[in-house]
Amino acid sequence: MSSPSLDRFRSRLAGAVREEPNPFGDTVFRVEPSGLRDVLRSLRDEHGFDLLLDVTAVDRLELPDSKPRFDVVYILRPSVGSERVRVQCRPPDEDLALETVSDLWKSANWAEREVYDQYGVRFRNHPNLKRILNHKDFVGHPLRKDYDIKKQQWLSEPDDLMDEMRKLRGGAEEEESESVLLNIGPSHPAMHGALRALVDLEGETVRHTVPEIGYLHRGFEKSAEKGTYTHVIPFTDRLNYCSSVMNNIGYCRTIEKMLGIEPTARAQTIRVVLLELGRIMDHLVCVAANLVDVGALTNYWYLFNERERIYDVIEALCGARLTHCYVRIGGLAHDLHAGFEEGVEGILRELPKALGDVERLVARNRIFLDRVVGVGAISAEEAISHGFTGPCLRACGVPNDLRKDEPYYGYDGYDWNVIVGTRGDAYDRIWVRMEEMRESMRIVAQAMKKMPGGPVNVDDKRVSLPPKTEVYGNIEALMNHFMIIMEGIKPPAGECYGSIEAANGELGFFVVSDGTGKPYKVKVRPPCFYVFSAFPRLTEGGMIQDMIATLGSLNIIAGELDR
Amino acid sequence: MGLREIENLSGSGVLTTRLDAVLRWGRRNSLWPLPYGTACCAIEFMAVVASPFDLSRFGAEVVRFSPRQSDLLIVSGTIVHKQAVILRRIYAQMAEPKWVIAMGACASAGAFYDNYCTLQGIDHVIPVDIYIPGCPPRPEAVLHAVTELQRRIDAGVPPRSQRTEGSA
Amino acid sequence: MNGYAPLILVVALALITPAMLLVVSNFLGARRTERTKGEPYECGIPQPAPPRRAIPVKYYLVAVLFLLFDVEAVFLYPWAVVYRRLGLFGFVEMAVFLAMLVAGLVYVWKRGALEWD
Repeated sequence: MSSPSLDRFRSRLAGAVREEPNPFGDTVFRVEPSGLRDVLRSLRDEHGFDLLLDVTAVDRLELPDSKPRFDVVYILRPSVGSERVRVQCRPPDEDLALETVSDLWKSANWAEREVYDQYGVRFRNHPNLKRILNHKDFVGHPLRKDYDIKKQQWLSEPDDLMDEMRKLRGGAEEEESESVLLNIGPSHPAMHGALRALVDLEGETVRHTVPEIGYLHRGFEKSAEKGTYTHVIPFTDRLNYCSSVMNNIGYCRTIEKMLGIEPTARAQTIRVVLLELGRIMDHLVCVAANLVDVGALTNYWYLFNERERIYDVIEALCGARLTHCYVRIGGLAHDLHAGFEEGVEGILRELPKALGDVERLVARNRIFLDRVVGVGAISAEEAISHGFTGPCLRACGVPNDLRKDEPYYGYDGYDWNVIVGTRGDAYDRIWVRMEEMRESMRIVAQAMKKMPGGPVNVDDKRVSLPPKTEVYGNIEALMNHFMIIMEGIKPPAGECYGSIEAANGELGFFVVSDGTGKPYKVKVRPPCFYVFSAFPRLTEGGMIQDMIATLGSLNIIAGELDR
Repeated sequence: MGLREIENLSGSGVLTTRLDAVLRWGRRNSLWPLPYGTACCAIEFMAVVASPFDLSRFGAEVVRFSPRQSDLLIVSGTIVHKQAVILRRIYAQMAEPKWVIAMGACASAGAFYDNYCTLQGIDHVIPVDIYIPGCPPRPEAVLHAVTELQRRIDAGVPPRSQRTEGSA
Repeated sequence: MNGYAPLILVVALALITPAMLLVVSNFLGARRTERTKGEPYECGIPQPAPPRRAIPVKYYLVAVLFLLFDVEAVFLYPWAVVYRRLGLFGFVEMAVFLAMLVAGLVYVWKRGALEWD
C-alpha cells in the first residue's frame, strides 16, 4: 500500500528507520528504540497518521530470530482514509523498556499498560504503568511463551484503587477531603457486569473517575496459541458476543489475507448479509440497554422482539442463536438453508415498525432528551487521540467507516450512507446507531437481491475440506481432510494485520504465524477498549446519572474489552 | 429455627406442615433473581426475561441487582479470578434462604477457557443448586432450571447454602 | 362512626404490614451469619471509605423546598372536599393562601435555588 504521504516518509528514512518487507503486503517500518518517539511523532504530525489503533508485542522466544526477545508493534492509521502502517521496535533484553507515547496519543495509555501486563515490557514516563487485565496479585506475565497456560493464580481481595485515586485527588487524605468516594460495579446493573469505576463525588457531581477492567479477561490470546487456526473461530464468537458472526468474519478475513485467498462471490455476499444482520443485532442490544439505563423500559421489549426474529433466522442457518461459529477460513461452514430469504424478508418488514415505535416513544420525549443531549460529549480531536472508531467516532462528526474507506466484499457496489453526528454526545451516539440500523437494512435488501449462485467455499486444498464422498472415496481427499483437521491450516510465516468495520468500530486481528498449523499469536484490536479508556474524560465534571447514560451509549462489551 | 419452636408449642405437626407448605409456596412463586451476568450468557438471560420466553410467568420477574433484595443468584457468564472475589462477597451478602443457578458451561465448569485466569466452575467458591449446560444455554433450558428449582423447593429440599458445613 | 371506618382500616393496615414483615420473617426465616454479610453493599467491593459526616447543603435546600410545597398540596385536599360548603369565602381564602406560596415559588425560581449547580 502506498500513498504520497508514505512515499514522502520513505524518502526521508535515515539509518535508525528502515522499511521491512512483509509477505502479506503490509507496510512495516523497523525502528531503533532511540528513534521511536521521533518517528511516531513525525508520522502523526507530518504524515497524517493521527489514529493509533493498537500497541502490542510479540515474544519471539520460539521464532528463528529471537534476540532481542520482544518486538513491540505500533499500528497506525489516518482518521479519514484507510492505509495502515506498522512501526516495530525491539527493546534490548537487558533493559526491557521503551519511552511511552501516551502523551502523543491518549490511546497509548491503556495499550501500553496491557503490553506491560501481558509481556513485561516497561514504558518510561508512563503516567500509570499498572496491570490492566490481570489482577493485582498476579505474578509474572502470562503471554510470554514460557508462562504455562494452566498456571492459575488466585486473588484474595480486590484492588481498592486508592493509589490512582490519591494521585487524582492531588494527594489529599480522605479524612480532610470534602467529597465522597463511591464504588460503582462490577456487580451493578448499569455496569453490564464487568466494569468498575471508583468515583469521587461532590454531591452528585463527579470530580474524578478511576475505571478498572479485566473482570472478564478470559485469556483469548493465550488460548488461541493452543489449538489450530480453525479452533480460534469459536473463541472469536465470544469476543463481541452481541454480534458474534462479525468477529468470525474479521478473523477469517485476516487469515485469508495471509493465505492470499479471496472468498467466492456467493460467500462474500452472504458474509455481507451476516455482517449487517450482526450490526443490527448489536445496535439493538446497545440501544435497548441504554434506554433501560435512562429509564425507558418499554423499548427493551420492542427491540428484543426484533432480536428474537433475527435469532430465529440465524438459528435455522447455523444452529446457534448467539455464538454462531458459522464462518470458516476460505468460506462458510455450509450454504444457506431453504427458508433464509423469507426469514430475512420478515426481518426487513418488521424491524422498521419496531424502530418507529421506539422513535415515537423517545425522539421528542423531554425527559429522554434532557438525559442524553449534551451528556458525555467529546470533540473529534480528543476522540481520535483516544483511538475511537465506529459509531462513537462517527457521532463526533468524523466520517470514518472502513466499509467506505477500504471497501471489501463489494460494499462499494451497494447504495448506502455513512451516518455522522454533530456533537459527539450520548444522544448522537444513540441516534447514529438507530440510523445505521436503517442503512444496514438497505444493504441487506440489496445483497439478498443480488445473491449470486455457486459454491460457498474456495476450491483450495490448503483450506477447504473436501466433500465427504471424496473423503470416503479416495486416499488423497482422505489425507487432505486429515491434514487440515489434525495439523491445521498453515498460513505462511510472518505477521499480518487485517480488520473489518464491526458494530463498535475497527475490529482488527494482528496475527503472527510461524508456518505451522498453530497460530503463534492472535491479537485482537478491540474497538471498545479504546472507547472505554476515555471514560474518565467523558464523565468528569458531569453528574452521576450522566455517567450511567454515557456508559450505555458507548456500547462496552466486556468480552471484547477484556478478551 | 423458628419452625421447630412453633411445632413444640402446638404439640403436633399439623400446624407446621401447613405453615411450611405456605412458606414453600411463597418462596417458589416469588424467586427474585440477581442476574450476575458477565458474558454471553447474560445476553441470553436478557432474552429469557424479554417477551417471547418471559421468565415472569414463573414469578421471577423482579430482577434485583442488589443481594439484599434477591434470593436467586443466577451466575451467567465466565467468572475469572478477578471476579471470583466479588462473586463470593455478593453471595455472602444475600439473605437466607438463597439459591444459586450456574448458567452455562463457563459458570458450571470453566468451559473451554482452561487457562491461567478463568475459574473452572463457580462451585470452587460458592455452593450451586442447579447447573445449566450450554454455551449459551437456550432460554428454554433456563426456564427448565427455574421450574426444576421450584419443584425442589416444593419438595422441601433445602438450598445448598444450608446443606454445606462451615461459613458457606 | 361510619365515616371513620376507612381511616381505622388504613391505620390498622399501616401498622400490621410492617409488623408482619419484620416480626414474622425474623421468626420463620433461616439464619446464617457471616462477617461479610453485615458489611455495607458496594457492588461487591469492600467499602472504599466510611461515609462522611457532612452532606452538601444543596440536598437540604431541595428537601426543604419539596416539604413546603408538598404540605401546600396536602392542605389543598381537605379544602377540595368541603369547598362547596365554604363557598366564595373559602375560595378567596384559599386563593390568598396559594398566592402567598406562589410568590414564594417565583422568588425561589428567580434566585436560582431550583438549579442544581
